[in-house]
Amino acid sequence: MHGRVKIKSTAQQEEEKRKEKEKKLKAFVSARDAVLKKRSAGEHDEEALQLTRQLLSSNPDFATLWNYRREVLLHLETLREKDEVQKLYESELHFIEACLKVNPKSYGCWHHRTWVNTRLPQPDWTRELGLCDRCLSLDERNFHCWDYRRVVVKASGVSVEQELQFTDRLIGSNFSNYSSWHYRSTLLPQLHPQPAPDSAPNTSPSPTTSPQFHSHRVCEEQLLKEYELSHNAFFTDPNDQSAWFYYRWLLGRGVCVCVCLELLCICEDTSAHPMLCVCVCVYVCVCVCVCVCVAEREEMISCVYVSREGERVSVAFSKPVHAQSEGLMLVLDGQPQQVEWRSTHPRLRHSPVWLCDLPPGSISDMSNEHNLTIHWTEKHTHRDCALYTGCAESWCRDSATNLELFRSELSVEKSSVLQAELQSCNQLLELEPQNKWCLLTIILLMRALDPLGHEKETLAHFQTLKEVDPMRSTYYSDLCSKFLIENTILKMEYAEVRVFSLSNKNLTTLCHLDQLLFVTHINLSSNQLLRLPPHFAMLQCLEVLEADDNAIENLEGLYHLPKLEEVSLRNNQICKLSDLESLASCTKLTRLDLRGNPVHRTAHIESELSQLLPRVTALSL
Amino acid sequence: MTATLFSPNTLLLDKHADYIAAYGSKKDDYEYTLSEYLRMSGIYWGLTVMDLMGQLSRMNREEIIEFIKSCQHDCGGISASTGHDPHLLYTLRLAILYTELIILCGTFLPVLYISIQVDPFHTLFGVAGLSLLGDEQIKPVNPVFCMPEDVLQRIGLQPDLLN
Repeated sequence: MHGRVKIKSTAQQEEEKRKEKEKKLKAFVSARDAVLKKRSAGEHDEEALQLTRQLLSSNPDFATLWNYRREVLLHLETLREKDEVQKLYESELHFIEACLKVNPKSYGCWHHRTWVNTRLPQPDWTRELGLCDRCLSLDERNFHCWDYRRVVVKASGVSVEQELQFTDRLIGSNFSNYSSWHYRSTLLPQLHPQPAPDSAPNTSPSPTTSPQFHSHRVCEEQLLKEYELSHNAFFTDPNDQSAWFYYRWLLGRGVCVCVCLELLCICEDTSAHPMLCVCVCVYVCVCVCVCVCVAEREEMISCVYVSREGERVSVAFSKPVHAQSEGLMLVLDGQPQQVEWRSTHPRLRHSPVWLCDLPPGSISDMSNEHNLTIHWTEKHTHRDCALYTGCAESWCRDSATNLELFRSELSVEKSSVLQAELQSCNQLLELEPQNKWCLLTIILLMRALDPLGHEKETLAHFQTLKEVDPMRSTYYSDLCSKFLIENTILKMEYAEVRVFSLSNKNLTTLCHLDQLLFVTHINLSSNQLLRLPPHFAMLQCLEVLEADDNAIENLEGLYHLPKLEEVSLRNNQICKLSDLESLASCTKLTRLDLRGNPVHRTAHIESELSQLLPRVTALSL
Repeated sequence: MTATLFSPNTLLLDKHADYIAAYGSKKDDYEYTLSEYLRMSGIYWGLTVMDLMGQLSRMNREEIIEFIKSCQHDCGGISASTGHDPHLLYTLRLAILYTELIILCGTFLPVLYISIQVDPFHTLFGVAGLSLLGDEQIKPVNPVFCMPEDVLQRIGLQPDLLN
C-alpha cells in the first residue's frame, strides 16, 4: 500500500474511478463487518467460509480471517465424515493456490497451507512438491516457498539425494541462485557427513556442542567436488555473489551461514533475498548466530587477573556474558567469597570482562601466597590463578595463539586444501584484478593460512578493495583494522611483552579490547580513530595511553582505569570540557597532554580542568 | 523508483509531514481501509517518522491511544486493528511505541504473546519485544533501529533528528 501515482485522466474518468472505488469499498466494509460480527457471535458455518473467501481472494494478507477460517474448518470437521473432510480440505488447497497467485509471498497463505496439510486425512505430498517447483520456477528466491518445501520434504520423506539433485538442476541452469546454494549447504552435511573428531583427552565435552554442530561437517571427498563446482560458477561469472557465498561456506565447513557476514556486507543485493537480511538481523539483534559461531570455540574463562594493591579480581570470558546470571563463584584459599560482580563500564551490560573486589585485607600482605579459583558453574568450567609471595599482581591466561583465536573459521580446513584454494583464487585474480569477491576471499584465505606472514599482501589487497569498491571503504577499513589488531596481539604474545603498539596504520576502529586486559602501555597514535569506546574500560592494567594525531572526540572508555597515570591525546577533536569528564574517575592520572585540541579555546579551560582533575599535575594545553 | 530530471533533490519534509498527518483522517479511503490488517505497523511507521521530523505533536494523541487500547487482548497480545487477532509483529510494534513515544494510561500487560509462526522474522520480533519490555536476560535494544544498543555503540550510530 504505497502512495499512489497520479495518472492524468479526464474529469469523467476520475469520477468513474471514484465511484468504482466507493462501490468496492462499500462491499469490502460490509463483508468485513459481517465477518467480524459472525465471529463475535461464535458462528462457524458455511456463510463464514463464503464471506472470508470473498475477502481473502483479494486481500490474502488479512491474517485474522485465516484464523477465523481455521476455527470454522475445525468445527466443520466434527460434523463431517472422513471423505468429506478430505474434500473440504482439498478445496481449501485450491482456494489457497488462487490466493497465492494474488500474493505469492503472503505469510498467511503459506502458513494456512501448512496447517491444512496437517488436517488432511490423506495429504498429497507429490502435489505439494509440484506446487513448490512451480512457484520456484516463477521466483527462485521466494523464501516462503523454500521454507514450505522443507516442510514438505520432511513430512513426505523425500530423500536427501533427490533434493540434492534438485539443487543440481537449479544451479546447473542458473549459477546465480543463492537459495539453491544455501539449500545445498544444508543437504550436503546430511548426505556426506564428516565423522566427528575425537575430543582431546583433557578437555571436558562442552555441553553446548550438540550433534547438530558436528553434523555441519562435510567429508573431504565431497568437499573437493563442491570446490570444483564453485570454481566453475565463479570463474564463469566472477561477479555473481551466490557462488562466492557458497564457496566461503565450504571453506568454513559450514559452521553457520552467518560466517558469511564479511561477504554479506559487500553484497549489493540483500533486498532481493530477505533471508540474508534476516540472517544479518538475527545475528545483530539476537546474537544467536554469534553464540553458534563461538560455540565451536570452547566457552571458558580466558583470563583471570589479580591485583594486590587494588584488592581486585578481573575476569575475561571467551564471550560476552551477564555475570549475575552465570553462576560465578570465587574461591580464595579454599574459602568461597561473597563478591559483587560489576562490568567495566555502565553501558556494557553484556561484557566479556567483569570485576569484583575482594574483602579488604584479604590479599594485601605481600608475604602471603594465595590461590584463587573462579568457577563458572553454568558452563561447568573454572580457572585457577596463584598469587605468589612478593608479587604485586598475577594473571593466568591461554595465549591467543594456542587458542587459535584469530585463525578464522576457515582454518578448520586442512592447510594444504586452503593453499590450493588460494592458488585458484589468485589465478582468477590475474584474470579479474578488480573483482571484490575474489580479493576478499583471498584475504580471508591468507588470514586462515598465515596471518602474520601474509600481512603485507593483505594490506595491499585492502587498498585495492577500497579503490574498486569505494562505497564500502569504511567497512574495509574497519575490517583491516580488526586484522591489524589481531596481528599485533599475536606479535605481542610472541615477544612476551605487555606493550601494544599500532601507530600509523589507518586504524578506524578498535576491537578485541577484552584481549588487552593485562596491557600496561598502548600506542595508537597517528590513526583515524574517532573515539575510545566503553569497551576501552576493559584495559584494567593500563598505565600509559598514547593516542596522538587521531580524530578522537569521545573518551567514554577512559573510565575507572585504576592504574592509568599518563594520557597523551595531542591533535585530536576533543571540544568540550564534558568530553573529559570520565577522566575524573581515573584516580591515578597525573599527566595529561591535550595540545592541539579545540577544547583549549574554551573559556577558563585551565581552571575548569584543575577543578575536574585535581590530581593531574602535568597538564599540557 | 528512478530519479528523473524533475525529481526533487531536497527532502520535502513539510510535504511528508502533511501527508502523514492527514493520512488517518481519510477514513473512507479505499487503500486506507484495505490496509487495516497492518494498521498498527502503519501507526508505528507514521509516528516514528513524525518524531524524527520533530512533528509528532501534529498527531492526534488521544485518538491513537484509544485505538491502541482497543487492540490490546487479554492474552497480552496486540492486534493490527480493532477486532483483529493479536499477532507477535504488532505486539512488538507496540512495545517499541511504548518505550519511545507514548505513555499509556491504564494497564499494559507485559506478557509476550507467542505466535505459531516459526521463522527468523518472528523470532526477532519476539526477542526484541521482550528486550523492550525490560527482560533482564536480553541485551537492551534500540527501538528506532531495532538493533542492540551495544552494536550501535560499537559502530557509532545514533539517530539524527531531521529538521
